[in-house]
Amino acid sequence: MRKGGNDEIRTIVRQVLAIGILSVLVGAVFHFPLIKRFARGEFREAFFIREDYPGVRMIGLVEAEDLFFAPGAAVFIDARSAPEFREGRVPGAWNVPYEPSLTRIPAEILALPFEHALIVYCEGGDCQSSLELAKVLHDNGFRDIRVLTGGWEAWRQAGLPEERTHD
Amino acid sequence: MIKNRTVLVLFRLALGGLFIYAGIVKVIDPLGFAQEVRSYRVVGQSLSFLVAVFLPWLEIFAGLFLVSGLMKRAGAAVISGLLVFFIILIIVTMLRGLDVDCGCFGTLSRKVGPGLLLEDALMLYMGLCVLFEPRKKP
Repeated sequence: MRKGGNDEIRTIVRQVLAIGILSVLVGAVFHFPLIKRFARGEFREAFFIREDYPGVRMIGLVEAEDLFFAPGAAVFIDARSAPEFREGRVPGAWNVPYEPSLTRIPAEILALPFEHALIVYCEGGDCQSSLELAKVLHDNGFRDIRVLTGGWEAWRQAGLPEERTHD
Repeated sequence: MIKNRTVLVLFRLALGGLFIYAGIVKVIDPLGFAQEVRSYRVVGQSLSFLVAVFLPWLEIFAGLFLVSGLMKRAGAAVISGLLVFFIILIIVTMLRGLDVDCGCFGTLSRKVGPGLLLEDALMLYMGLCVLFEPRKKP
């Protein structure tokens, strides 16, 4: 009886290990592009403690769209590079290209009340510059910063209004 | 411990289904989940990322094995182990007075608190019932 019990425990332990190994393998394959970026040094400063940035939160396309169609409800800020911004953007968005050395933001944005809603976006997918820019905006005093998950790509694919600069 | 086989099958389906769902919503947004992990202030940046990449798959596979009945005890053991860890994490987070979203079910996430503790304890009970289910008589 006891021997049978020990065998059963051994079997369960082996199966638990198998589930663990399977999870690691599938996770590594499925998220391989992300893991490659992590190995290159990305995401080492990406995740902030929410309590340190109480004014920053993530929003989806639906909330961003609602704010876009409510006049004056929010200012859109595009964290992508200037050429990308010229190619296509959320109508009325302001461009603040994010780079790691960025600490000060343009005066026209600083002229806004700190409680004004700001919607920050970047390329889309797993881009991090919108989140990084949100942290800089928070450090500059803003307290209602919403980061659009999905970014420009999600906005464009949803067929929402676009604006571009013509040469 | 409950020994009624029909109830235990229901436990398996409910618990396994919940973990599969919880894992899928995290797999869809790994960086969002890493953010939630980091907010607990238990692990640093890199470990938050690694937990977010691998833990959801552990939840999915444990849930799948539990629901399918294939290696159901191992599935229940993994899920029970995870729940013990989550319960300790919730208690520590509450004692530290941190205001944290649990990060457990994507958009259905809610604040860490006594309600969440009770839910996890209930799920742990279900997991343990399956883990220690008596063997069928030959």
